[in-house]
Amino acid sequence: MFWKRQIPIAIVALIGTITLFGWFTDQPTIKSFVDDDATQWYDILASFAIFLGALNLLKLQMQKIIKQKSGWQYSIFAILGFLIAFTAGFLMRGAYTVDIKSAGETPQAVAQVLADETGKTVQESEIILGLIEAENSPMSLEKVHWRGKSVNDVANKLANSGAEVEIKPEDWGAHLTKKDSFFNWMFFKIFTPLSATMFALLAFLVASAAYRAFRIRNFEATLLLVSGIIIMLGRVPIGSKISSWFVLYILVLLVTIMVNTWKNSRILTFGTLGIGLLLVTIAGVSMGWPIDKPGFAYLPTLQDWIYLVPNIAGARAIMIGIGLGVFATSIRYIFGIERSYIGE
Amino acid sequence: MKKLADLVIKLGNVDRRWIFIIIAIVVMYPLFKPLGLPIRPTESSQEVYAAIEALPEGSKVLLSCEYGPSTKPEIHPMAVGVLRHLFENGHQVYVTCLWPDGQFMAREALEQVAENEYNRTYGEDYVLLGFRPGNEAVIKGIVSDIRKMYTIDSRGIPIDDIPMMNGVKNILDLDFIFSASAGYPGTVEWVQLAADPTGIPMSTGVTSIQVNEVMPYVDAGQIKGILAGMPGAAEYEALLGKTGIATSGMDAQSIAHIVIVLFIIFGNIAFYLERQRSKKTF
Amino acid sequence: MFSAEIVGAWIAVFLTLAIFSYLYRDNPFYKIAEHIFVGVSAGYWASMFFWTQIQPNLFGRLWPVLHEEQTLGILGKAWYGIYNFLHLLYRPAFPEGGVATGHGMQLTYIIPLILGIMMLLSVFSKFSWFARWGIAYVVGMAAGLRSYGFLNSNVIGQIKGSVIPLTGDISTGTIINGIILLIGTITGLMYFYFSKEHKGWFGKIGRIGIYFLMISFGASFGFAVMGRISLLIGRFTDLKAFGGADYHHASIWLLVIMVVLLGIWSFFNKEEKTT
Repeated sequence: MFWKRQIPIAIVALIGTITLFGWFTDQPTIKSFVDDDATQWYDILASFAIFLGALNLLKLQMQKIIKQKSGWQYSIFAILGFLIAFTAGFLMRGAYTVDIKSAGETPQAVAQVLADETGKTVQESEIILGLIEAENSPMSLEKVHWRGKSVNDVANKLANSGAEVEIKPEDWGAHLTKKDSFFNWMFFKIFTPLSATMFALLAFLVASAAYRAFRIRNFEATLLLVSGIIIMLGRVPIGSKISSWFVLYILVLLVTIMVNTWKNSRILTFGTLGIGLLLVTIAGVSMGWPIDKPGFAYLPTLQDWIYLVPNIAGARAIMIGIGLGVFATSIRYIFGIERSYIGE
Repeated sequence: MKKLADLVIKLGNVDRRWIFIIIAIVVMYPLFKPLGLPIRPTESSQEVYAAIEALPEGSKVLLSCEYGPSTKPEIHPMAVGVLRHLFENGHQVYVTCLWPDGQFMAREALEQVAENEYNRTYGEDYVLLGFRPGNEAVIKGIVSDIRKMYTIDSRGIPIDDIPMMNGVKNILDLDFIFSASAGYPGTVEWVQLAADPTGIPMSTGVTSIQVNEVMPYVDAGQIKGILAGMPGAAEYEALLGKTGIATSGMDAQSIAHIVIVLFIIFGNIAFYLERQRSKKTF
Repeated sequence: MFSAEIVGAWIAVFLTLAIFSYLYRDNPFYKIAEHIFVGVSAGYWASMFFWTQIQPNLFGRLWPVLHEEQTLGILGKAWYGIYNFLHLLYRPAFPEGGVATGHGMQLTYIIPLILGIMMLLSVFSKFSWFARWGIAYVVGMAAGLRSYGFLNSNVIGQIKGSVIPLTGDISTGTIINGIILLIGTITGLMYFYFSKEHKGWFGKIGRIGIYFLMISFGASFGFAVMGRISLLIGRFTDLKAFGGADYHHASIWLLVIMVVLLGIWSFFNKEEKTT
C-alpha cells in the first residue's frame, strides 16, 4: 500500500509544491530545476504515457483477435494500421536522396540520364550540371526514394554515365518530416484524410441537430437561438447582403407573435402588426432604404456588438469561474485531498 | 391549411439522411460555382493586422503552430497569411509546434511561403524548431531557455549552428508571439505562461469553436486581436490583398449558414404546429 | 502512371468516403477506416514522441557522444556497455559512440527513465500500479503550472480587464458597453454562486446573469456551426481536387463503387426500424 498509495501522493505534493513556488522563488537551484529539468522530465513522461497507450491498444486488439470477440476481424485492420505507422517511424527510413557532386568527364551523358530521371529537358539538365561545376557545390535531386534499392539504381545509372554521386540517407528523426518521405506520405495520405474527415462528420450532425433538436421552449432558449443566428449570419459575407429593413420586418413579426402568446387578443395582435409594419415602412421610405441603416438592425453591426459585449461578459464570467475552480482543484491535488489519479 | 400543416409536421420528422444530402449539396455547389461575395474585415482581425504591421523591421517573431489536418481548413490559411505578412515586412520567423501534426503543417506553410513565394534562406530568415511533447511545459521551457528544449531543429541541425539563433536565449529575446491554435495546448497556455508573465505582445488565430474561450483575453488586452476561424482567415487574406483557400471557402460557408438557419426556423415551426395540435386533441 | 502521389490520392479518397459512409449507416467500410485510424494514430504518435523527445533529450543526456579527451572509469565503461548492447538491438536510435544532440551527460535523467519504464510495465495487470508514480509526477507538475497560470491570467487578468475607463478620450458608447460588460460578468458569476438560495433580489440578479450566459452560449453555438462547416469545406475541397484528371477521377470512381457496394450490402443487411 505504501508504494501504491503514499508514494504517489507524496510525489504529487513535492513536485506540485516545487513547481508552484518555482514561480516566486529566485533560489538558483530550485529555479533551474523547475524551469529546465522538471519540464524535460514532464515531457519525457508524457512521451512514455503515449507509448503506454499504444501498448494497451495493441494488447486490447490482440485479445479481441485471439478470443474472437464480436468484430474481431476489424481489429486486424487496427493492428495493420499500427504496423504501417510503426514501420514508417522505426524500421524504414524511407527518405534517401541522391547528390550530384560533379558531372565528371561526360556531362552530356550525365545530362541525358538526369533528364530521364527528373523529367526535365536535356538542355535544362546541362545548365544544372554547369552550375554544379561553376559553384563547386553539390545538388540534391528532388526525388525522395523510399527504398535503398531504388536510390541505388538511380545512383548507379548516374555513376555509370560518368557523374560523381553520393547517396544521402536522411537522419533518423528528421525522416519523419522530410518532404515526400514514406512517413510524410503516410501522414498526408492515410492519417490526414481519416483525422480530418472524422471531424468533418460533425458538420452533418450539427445540421441535423439544428433541424431536429433545437427547440424554443422558453425565453432563455430563444435568447440562445437568436444570438446564434445573428452570429452565424453576421459573421459571413452573405450577412452584409441582408438589408437591415428585412431584419426590422422580422422583428415586427416576432413582437406580434410574442404579443399574441401573451394576450391572445386578435385586436391587439393585428394592431401590433399593423402599427409595426407602418412605422418600419415610413422610416424606410424617409431614409431611402439604406442596406446598413439603422445600424442596430444591420446583421454585421449587430453581430459585432453581441460578439464584443454581452458575449464576452458571459464568457468572462465562465472563465473566472473556471479559473477559480482550476486553482482550487490544483491546490487540492497538491495537498493530497484529491486522489483520482490513483483511482480513489 | 390543414394539409399544409400536416406536410410541415411530416417534414419536421424527416429522416436525417435527407438533411445530410442537402448539406452536402449546399456546401459542394459554391465550390464549383463561386458567388464572389465580398469579405468585410472585422475589428478583431484588423487589430491582428495592425499589431504585426506595427512591428519594427527585422523583428524576431515566434510563430507557434498547434493545429493538425482536422483543423487545417481554418488555421492553415492564417499561418500562411501571417508568414506572408512577416516576410513582406522583413521580419525573422522562429517556428515552434506544440502539436506533433503542427510540424507537418508548419513545414508545408514554410515551403509554400518562405521557399516558393519569398525565396527566404533557412537559418537566416526563418527556422523550424519543430515539435516537442509536454504541452505547457514546452512553453515554460521556451520562456526559460530555448536550448534546454531544443538542441537540434526539425532538420537535425544543432541550434548553435543556426545563425539566427545567435543571441536568442529565451522568449525575452523575441519581439512578438503568434499562436495558430486549434485547442489544447495552444493560445490559452501561451497567454498564461509566456505573454502575461513576460509582457511580450501576442496575437492569435483560433478555430471557431475556441473563439469564445479566448475572447475575454482579447478584450482585456492580453492578446492583440484574434483571427476567428475560417471567416477570420478570409478577412486577413482580404487585408493582405491576397486571396487564398479561406476566401474561396466563404461562399460555401455563407450558403451553409443560411440553410442551417432555415432548418432551425422550419424545425421550430413544425414543433410549434405539433404542439398546438397535441394541445387541441388533449 | 501509378506514382506514390496517385496511389496516395486514391487511398485518401477511399478513407474519406469510408468515414462519410457512416452518415448512411454504420457499415463495414466505416469500421475498417475507423480501426485503421486507431492503429495508425497510435503508431504515428509513438514515432513522433520517440524521435522528438525520448531519443534526443533522454538518451542524448544519458549517453551523449564522448569527446576525445574524455576517459571513462569502470562505472562509465559499464554504463556505456549498456549503450553498446542497445546499439546492437536498434542502431537507428543508438548510433555508434553515443547520441549526438549537443547535451552533456546528466545522470539525474535516470529518474524519468525509470519512471517511464515503470509506466510501460504497467501494461501487465500484475504491475498495473507501476504507472502511478509517473502519473503522479505529471499530475503534480501540471497542478503547479496551472494553479499559477489560471489564477494570474484567467482570474486576475480578467478582473483587470473588466475595469471601465471613465476619464481620457473615451466615447460614451465605450463607457456604456463597458458598464454592460461589467454587469454581465458580475451577474454571470453570481448565477454560479450556489451557497445562497436563488430567491428574491439575488434570484433576479442570477436571472440577468443567465440571460448573458445564454447569449454567450448562443454565440458559441454559432461559432461551433461555423467551425464544423469549415472542416467540411476543407474535405470537399480535397475531394474536388482528387476528382480531377490528374488523379484519374479518383473521387468519382470510388464514390460510384462504394455506393454500389453499400447498396448491395444494405440489401442483404436490412436496417432495423426503431419505433
